[in-house]
Amino acid sequence: MIPPNPAPRPSPARRPGRHPGLAAAVALILGLAAAAGAAAQEDKRGGIIRYGHLQEPPCLYAGWVQAGYIQRQYADNLVARTQDGRIVPWLATDWTVSDDNLTYTFRLKPEVRFHDGTALDAAAIVVNFERWLSDDPDKVNRNAKLYVGDVVRSVTAPGPLTLRIELARPYQPFLTVLSTYFFGILSPTALARGPQELCERPVGSGPFIVEAWNRGRNVVLKRNPDYNSAPATARHAGPAYVDGIVWKFLKDNTVRYGSLLSGESDAIYDIPAVDWDEARTRFRVVQDVTGGTPTRLQLNTARPPFDDVRVRRAFAQVSERQKAVEAAFHGEIPFNGNGALSLSTPEHLKDLAQSYPYDPDAANRLLDEAGWTGRARDGIRTRDGRRLTVRLLYAGGSLITSDGILVLQILQDQARAVGFDVVLKPIPQADWFAGKGRGPDDYEAQPAYWVASSAEILKISWRPDQGGAVNANNASRFQPPVLWRLIEEADRTFDDAARLARYEEAQRLIVGEAAVVGLFPLAVTIASQPKLKDVWISSPVSEPVFHDAYFEK
Amino acid sequence: MSAAPSRSRVTGWHRRIARLVLGAAAVFWAVATFTFCVQTLLPGDRAELILNVKAGTFTQPTAAELAQINARYGFDAPLAVQYGRFLGGLVRGDLGTSYQTQGPVRAIIAEQAAPTLLTLSALALAWAIALLLTVPSAGRDGSLARLVSGFQVAAAVAPPYWIGTILLVVLGVKLRLLRVESGTGPAGLVMPAFALAIPLSGFIGQVIREEFARVLDQPFVTSARMRGMSDLAVRVRLVLRHAVLPGVTLSGWALGALFSGAAIIETVFARPGIGGLLVMATSARDVPLVTGIILAAAGLYILANLLVDLAYPIIDPRLRAR
Amino acid sequence: MTLATDILRRPEAVPRPRRPGMRRPADLVRGLPGGVLVAGALIALYLVMAAAPALLQTHPPFRTDLAATLRPPSLDHLFGTDQSGRDLFSRVVEGTRDSLAIGVGATSLSLTLALLLGVTAGLAGGALDRAIGRFLEVMFAFPNLFLALLLITVFEATPVTLIAAVGIGTAPGYARMVRGQFLAVKGAGYVEAARALGHSRLRILRRHILPNAMRPLVAMITLGVGQSIVWASSLAFLGLGVAPPSPEWGALLDAGRNYVTRAWWLEVMPGLAIIVFALSVTVVGRHVQDRLDGRAGTP
Repeated sequence: MIPPNPAPRPSPARRPGRHPGLAAAVALILGLAAAAGAAAQEDKRGGIIRYGHLQEPPCLYAGWVQAGYIQRQYADNLVARTQDGRIVPWLATDWTVSDDNLTYTFRLKPEVRFHDGTALDAAAIVVNFERWLSDDPDKVNRNAKLYVGDVVRSVTAPGPLTLRIELARPYQPFLTVLSTYFFGILSPTALARGPQELCERPVGSGPFIVEAWNRGRNVVLKRNPDYNSAPATARHAGPAYVDGIVWKFLKDNTVRYGSLLSGESDAIYDIPAVDWDEARTRFRVVQDVTGGTPTRLQLNTARPPFDDVRVRRAFAQVSERQKAVEAAFHGEIPFNGNGALSLSTPEHLKDLAQSYPYDPDAANRLLDEAGWTGRARDGIRTRDGRRLTVRLLYAGGSLITSDGILVLQILQDQARAVGFDVVLKPIPQADWFAGKGRGPDDYEAQPAYWVASSAEILKISWRPDQGGAVNANNASRFQPPVLWRLIEEADRTFDDAARLARYEEAQRLIVGEAAVVGLFPLAVTIASQPKLKDVWISSPVSEPVFHDAYFEK
Repeated sequence: MSAAPSRSRVTGWHRRIARLVLGAAAVFWAVATFTFCVQTLLPGDRAELILNVKAGTFTQPTAAELAQINARYGFDAPLAVQYGRFLGGLVRGDLGTSYQTQGPVRAIIAEQAAPTLLTLSALALAWAIALLLTVPSAGRDGSLARLVSGFQVAAAVAPPYWIGTILLVVLGVKLRLLRVESGTGPAGLVMPAFALAIPLSGFIGQVIREEFARVLDQPFVTSARMRGMSDLAVRVRLVLRHAVLPGVTLSGWALGALFSGAAIIETVFARPGIGGLLVMATSARDVPLVTGIILAAAGLYILANLLVDLAYPIIDPRLRAR
Repeated sequence: MTLATDILRRPEAVPRPRRPGMRRPADLVRGLPGGVLVAGALIALYLVMAAAPALLQTHPPFRTDLAATLRPPSLDHLFGTDQSGRDLFSRVVEGTRDSLAIGVGATSLSLTLALLLGVTAGLAGGALDRAIGRFLEVMFAFPNLFLALLLITVFEATPVTLIAAVGIGTAPGYARMVRGQFLAVKGAGYVEAARALGHSRLRILRRHILPNAMRPLVAMITLGVGQSIVWASSLAFLGLGVAPPSPEWGALLDAGRNYVTRAWWLEVMPGLAIIVFALSVTVVGRHVQDRLDGRAGTP
């Protein structure tokens, strides 16, 4: 056997893509900064970040949050959101809101250009809005439309750097929503080139330029040397310090973490639970719990057995959810007992975090009351000859990681002791997004998350079916009119206390009726080599930010 | 054997090639047709899938949106018309546009061509291992020969992905001898190629071994030995040529099987490749992409077997008479 | 890789006629080499595991124990425990039934199809034979993986689907071989002789052709079972395996891969279970084959 050799770390000088000379030249040209400042900047310049990510999105634009992480690198938004929830300037330097909360007037940063040279002015943003809310399937941005499609009346450009948005009715979360990745502004010139370009080589104005997408392998992002539109949340204005990012897709946990260990990656996403202890001692680890809804079991309230609230409450109490989450994630991801909102969401109601503690006796009583008194030979409860079966659909390997699947298996085992037959049904990623096998009668429970910054997510999760179209995002099929009224009222209430009260009442209703059972939030974890500094995770949906990152020399 | 081939033999040879090529083309057409039919007849609405996959969210599209997609992709035309268009494109070498990426299928597949080298390098490596172990040991009865033979039997049943995972952890993560991420460079091929090659070498080795032992008993071998030819020379120069034949047949088939095996190995080593693409495309019902990949794989297989068929008479002159 | 198995035996080899007279079982065992005896005993053990898992299990296979996760192998937990504290040995034992069912089921399906196609082609000859030959070539060119993908997309990834996927995928290999054997046997001297003696066609088929043509298949069956298990289990790596918590061996391997740097036993133990089984059936199969061929038993 060959003895294990100490980690062979590549010396900084050998790293490909490092150009100290170029860095110096750039510093010279910039020349505007004070001499000392320039020297500090120059210290930080250079290098390419090799970043190992977990999942590859189907497109680099909009859609799933996995695309949003990349979009955060190449696109800018109108406004940004700080970790504590304030809305601060980004492409808009300032803005005014009319007294009736219906007219928003933004003043835009001057001299901003997209990567293709197109000017980023008010007219360009108007084009973006028109496309987002379009009926044309090639243009529409379904995420954006879900949030503001029914709210925005008109978007106009009264001046080259003045943007006016008129709403049909007041919508308090409007600015928060605009800070989310799927409202990232793209070049109208590039947008006109059609859906393939938009999917594979989107053109924004952000600190990095999408150079190539090698499917199945990586996305190559190149530094934008003319970057001048950093958000107020950034740690420095101006272009990124590094020359680029190789955004690798390393789906396999062993490979991904192994590549960090062996120095083949400078940073990785999502440390496998078993490797946490070691990772913390050897690497810089930053974590952010994403807002919105946590991964929670959405119980199908529209069909038996979960049309009976007693059965839902029983199911919520059959397992040691908190312990299961702690075991599966080795305590590194918190338990999110309130399934209505992620615990990092400002409106999250802590009182509900410990609802439905493990209590098999109570569960047994509830099931007896609900008439599930028979027992099949294998111990599963029955009623009128029908087994107490729960088909649990999940996007294994994509929305739910392997650590998350473990939680489901523990739950399955413990639920059996009370008489539930939980059948786990993994759905491949593409099928999941295509909604295949997820029809209203295909499942009894569905675990999923949906990222957002705050309680505006409730509008997406609980909108009732409209015009015969099933709202698939309301997998609980839970749609009492009172809930929707509360959410709509909250969304148009500008008094913070009054709004919060309504959001809290909505959470009480959702959790009280056990329409969802909370498990764990999506937590973004970035582990990086000690020499890679200032990688941070941004609000609103925990996107890793590499604009400020640099290699220590 | 006469020095100048007779005229009838030349035409026979030509006819044989023509027959083989025509047969290969027919098989190719059948594969294309079957792939097309299976996919268009699967349950589920293609337009709805395209919309949802594109959006990355699951919402119910409106009838107007569906109609637009149906018109764009020609799903509203009768199936026969769709099939005609498909065949027409195939003849022109146009495999269509991927539903998911909106890119031309031919380019997507071409992009993955380099990683597909894995299949070929695994095959070459398997042959190398098999020959190295078999040639010196076949036909002997010593304990070393038995050990080698036993290893080959065991190797043939070892799951490639299992070998791959263990190689990855031991050589990559623990010992740091090889890169963990295999990337696209030749160095990255080492572990995946070995993982695929070890079981295959077991198969090839067993096949050659049996044939080798049989040929070793032939009179012409004995007479060569009596002429004073060394054992090694007998084995390498005389016997090997005859013994590899069944191995060559096996290789033609193995190429097809390796394609499926490579898809799994790619996953283990987080390599890009045509197999992973196929998995993704099938579940997304990306008909043009799936069809393109199947045709590429089938084409490769058909071509390889055509070459094997043509190579037979070259390797073994006795077959030329047939 | 299952395709490969069918040419381990040269199809053009003309089998020798079966020798008359059966040996008594006791004689069969006495003459066996040690390796074959061990392999036979192991197969028996696997059969017990499949038939009556509870006899061997030391713990309930699905019982999670959050206080004992990722324990290395010990006397209490022979193969260690997994990430939720389940006893791996008991899970491997529990998974035997599904895994063997897939292996045996797929091979049976494959052989049935192969016999139908191969015998028809071999007997009929002419246009039908050529048509079947072309069909088999098309099947060969079609990647096995795609067949599995299609079936799993349309139906779900249950053991039955896997049996169908693997069984249909491997059938052409066997079919081609059956046909080859048939043609070889049909022209063999003893068949000619029987024909000359005026035996009926059916009788020739039943008494001479079928037994002799089928003989090489014995080895194929045993090889095929092992190969089918390996191939079906590898589908788990693509996320197409049987849903958890099924301890089907491939699923165990797939789950273990995530923890392999910290808990090697999760990957190594189920892998060994597959290899030892496949090896045992191969050894026994080859021995039976050699016996039938009347040759000395070399592995």
